[in-house]
Amino acid sequence: MAHTASVALPLKPRRASAPKLHAAALAALALALGWALPAQAYVGPGAGFALASSFAVVFVTIVLAIFAILAYPFRVAWRRLRRGKPPQARVKRLIVVGFDGQDTRLTDRFLAEGKLPNFKKLAELGCYRPLASTYPSLSPVAWSSFSTGTHPAKHNIFDFLDRDRRTYLPMLSSTRIGEVRRFFRLGKWRIPRDKPELTLLRRSTPFWTLLGQKGIWSTVLRVPITFPPDRFYGAELSAMCVPDLLGTQGTFLLFTTRPASGKFKEGGIRVALEPPGAERFETRLEGPENLFLEDRPPLSTAMSLTVDRAAKKATIAIGSEETVTLAVGELSGWLSVLFKAAPGVTVRGITRVQVTEIGEHFSLYVAPINLDPEGPAMPISHPSYYATYLAKKIGPFATLGLAEDTWSLNEKVVDDGTFLKQTLDIDDERQRMFFASLDQLKKGSLVCVFDATDRIQHMFWRYLEKDHPAHSANPQTEHANAIEELYRRNDEVVGKVLAKMRRGDLLMVISDHGFTSFRRGVNLNAWLLANGYLALKEGCDGSGEWLADIDWSRTRAYGVGLAGMFLNVRGREAQGIVEPGREAAALKAEILAKMSGLKDTEKGGEVGIREVFDTAKLYSGPYLENAPDLIVGYNHGYRVSWDSATGMASGAVFEDNLKAWSGDHCVDPRIVPGVFFCSHKIDVDQPALMDVAPTALTLFGLEPPAHMDARPLFKAGPLAADPFARKAKAA
Amino acid sequence: MATLNSLLRQLFDLLLSPFAGLPSVVPVTAISVVVGVAMLWVYKKTSNQQKIEDVKQQIFASVFEIRLFNDNLPAIFRAQGDIFRRIPRYLSLSFVPLAWMLLPMVLLIAQLQFHYGYQGLQPGQPVLLKATLKPGASLPQDAAGALDVALSAPEGLKVEAGPVWVPALREVSWRLAAERPGSYQLTLKAGSESLTKTAVSSEKNLRRSPIRVGGALLDQLLYPAEDPIPTTSPFAEVKLDYPEAEVNLLGWHTHWLIAFFVLSLVAAFALKGWMGVEL
Repeated sequence: MAHTASVALPLKPRRASAPKLHAAALAALALALGWALPAQAYVGPGAGFALASSFAVVFVTIVLAIFAILAYPFRVAWRRLRRGKPPQARVKRLIVVGFDGQDTRLTDRFLAEGKLPNFKKLAELGCYRPLASTYPSLSPVAWSSFSTGTHPAKHNIFDFLDRDRRTYLPMLSSTRIGEVRRFFRLGKWRIPRDKPELTLLRRSTPFWTLLGQKGIWSTVLRVPITFPPDRFYGAELSAMCVPDLLGTQGTFLLFTTRPASGKFKEGGIRVALEPPGAERFETRLEGPENLFLEDRPPLSTAMSLTVDRAAKKATIAIGSEETVTLAVGELSGWLSVLFKAAPGVTVRGITRVQVTEIGEHFSLYVAPINLDPEGPAMPISHPSYYATYLAKKIGPFATLGLAEDTWSLNEKVVDDGTFLKQTLDIDDERQRMFFASLDQLKKGSLVCVFDATDRIQHMFWRYLEKDHPAHSANPQTEHANAIEELYRRNDEVVGKVLAKMRRGDLLMVISDHGFTSFRRGVNLNAWLLANGYLALKEGCDGSGEWLADIDWSRTRAYGVGLAGMFLNVRGREAQGIVEPGREAAALKAEILAKMSGLKDTEKGGEVGIREVFDTAKLYSGPYLENAPDLIVGYNHGYRVSWDSATGMASGAVFEDNLKAWSGDHCVDPRIVPGVFFCSHKIDVDQPALMDVAPTALTLFGLEPPAHMDARPLFKAGPLAADPFARKAKAA
Repeated sequence: MATLNSLLRQLFDLLLSPFAGLPSVVPVTAISVVVGVAMLWVYKKTSNQQKIEDVKQQIFASVFEIRLFNDNLPAIFRAQGDIFRRIPRYLSLSFVPLAWMLLPMVLLIAQLQFHYGYQGLQPGQPVLLKATLKPGASLPQDAAGALDVALSAPEGLKVEAGPVWVPALREVSWRLAAERPGSYQLTLKAGSESLTKTAVSSEKNLRRSPIRVGGALLDQLLYPAEDPIPTTSPFAEVKLDYPEAEVNLLGWHTHWLIAFFVLSLVAAFALKGWMGVEL
């Protein structure tokens, strides 16, 4: 059928309607120029993702910002109603920088040698004094007194470890991690109905909480004994006692083809690789228990190790997330470790690895698996997203309480260089978060504790003393100046902080204690055994850890932990035999008298223990009964021995310390004061660490509560002079 | 380009043939997932993943800052400013994968459009066929001087009216209707030159060509459903007004391209972790 056009009709000319494709394709091209809407301009997920994500971010942030701005007057009004009129502050910002363990003697020496110009400048601006520590001079105790302004009997922290009075077994003194007991059951899965209860055992109230009650913001970074974190008006990142993913205070792993030679004494697990000459090993990295399954088997993720012996390199693949190739001795950056617990439930960790040998044998060191700050499995910050925020701001960072892996160096799994790099990397992370927080702080307080000073002095003190027993046991000398270099590094931090000080700021640089040598260990339990205060079970030699060999029915006193000794008191300890009251007091006095001035006969009668302190006479407070009954004040060069600290009673009373852990501060607190630098002159001659809390309160116009044992460092009234006002004027 | 289009037509006809009898949401979903995965792979291989991760981390840090320092207006504004500064950087990092994806996606979408963008002609439903003659060229005339343009329709297609000549548009129109389902070939004649045009009356998802265009590159890129009109032909283009189709996505009736956009994004976001891609 054919139809021929023969008629022209006066139709109105119109533009032909283009098919939808035309618009879509043109829009797709337009997208390339970056201005079209995503739905019109779709050319694939690439553009879609970028645009969708960007628009989402812009939208969310604008909504947040608008909400924050609109809500601001109401928030101010609400705060005023709830917290009253803000007190009259004497400073705008209080910055407290803590260098854990910075020692007065070394500081004085380096100051005199002109190696710490910024500390010197700070001292000239304000003051520099020794800072009295706590009894005992241990970080958890000292920093708790710092934050609460109280003696240990009021904050309840006396040591790293406490003992369970029913079992005599050790437990963390600062944190209790509960069990999940209630579950929903779904086939083979158990779904926890609640979270494990986390309890901070530190009592009393830190000064930042008191400041927050009056609407004064504080940022608190890595101050020990803040896990789980305090809840207050401000932000806090937890520190000491945050566990690793295994729930321990830091367990490194060594994957090795070397035959086992026993368990590591502290903090490590050996994992066998077989056969020794293989070029590829398939193994698994074990994590925490899987709460979602009945028998709670450990979570694990696959790890494959490919060894290139010729190139002295190995490729490590962890799960499907991380693959890294390392030369021998090279320490990796942070690597993600994901443990899949149940559908949709992943436990996230981060770790670092190092190939320690490739040859006849192959060994791989895996650092303790830290909680991933971007998605921590436990609350390690307040608010909960603060750790995530910091991770996004500065990158991944160590979250473990004692983040620097001292145990692996002690066990010679890694060398000085590896430990030093790990420690300084963590210090870099800390600096980044500190300076980011300092830049954000407009008003309020900022407290940050840097741990490297403590860790490096613990591990490198042996290089300061040629006759240190650990000096010849650990002969590496490449990093012999590590301590001095660290003090210089601290000095640089002080310089940078000084450069950022503004009118109305007050800067304190402090340490919780000093340091001294740890050449000889004192086995308190062996001394108690030798002197008839402690008895062993039939057939035991006292070498059982955690007081396993002790016959409690005949034991009157025992030692565990670093700080001191406990009496086996009836009604307090499960198998106590010492009557409380007069008998206990007499026993304490007897031991105190015998042990004070104890001499090390092997070393020419050098005094090992200067004085033993009765805690009931040192301080008073509601938690005094939790304190060790006696605190031992060791002399320079002495400390409780490794065996005694872990509840062993075998061996000699005095023994050489051959470990890399060669410096310590768990001695008579009077011989290891900390340092106190302040940008302002203080009105007290002999400041104590405890004094910082009431000082912080008074600087912001608050009256220190009556229960605080300390006193402010500044008299009432305006501060004498503002050194940074001069700087602002000069600028 | 014509050869490429011919190959792509055959390839897509083959690949999509198993889905021809299914509701269009099924193939569109399947294709979206496959495309989502493919584009993730391209994105991973052609973008700077580390830089994308870094800039995203900084953007999210600023988002957290707004939440964290919500009592501190300068901090909020600073964070907002940081976000606005970083968004262009983030977008710019997507340009490289975007450039890689652009041409393949245009080719893909062009092919899919002619499978899922139009319904087939409904039997008995009238539809217009419009043929446009090239501008400037002399009009084909018969011996009597009338416009010599004719349309031949095969059995099953009925020419109901026309031709109607619109001189201003140089356009000739006919009204057609399918009498029964089928794939047909219409023949247009202009003087001694003839040209074919496909017409499909079917419920199935078959390739339908609403327009046959000339040999210009952009036209061929965008309308690949039929071979281009030969340069010697007096016709510029021939259009058949197929009704537009919609996809029923869980009760949401929408253009297939929108569904494709949503589904491929969802698929890619869902699979990005599995594929280890930072978007």
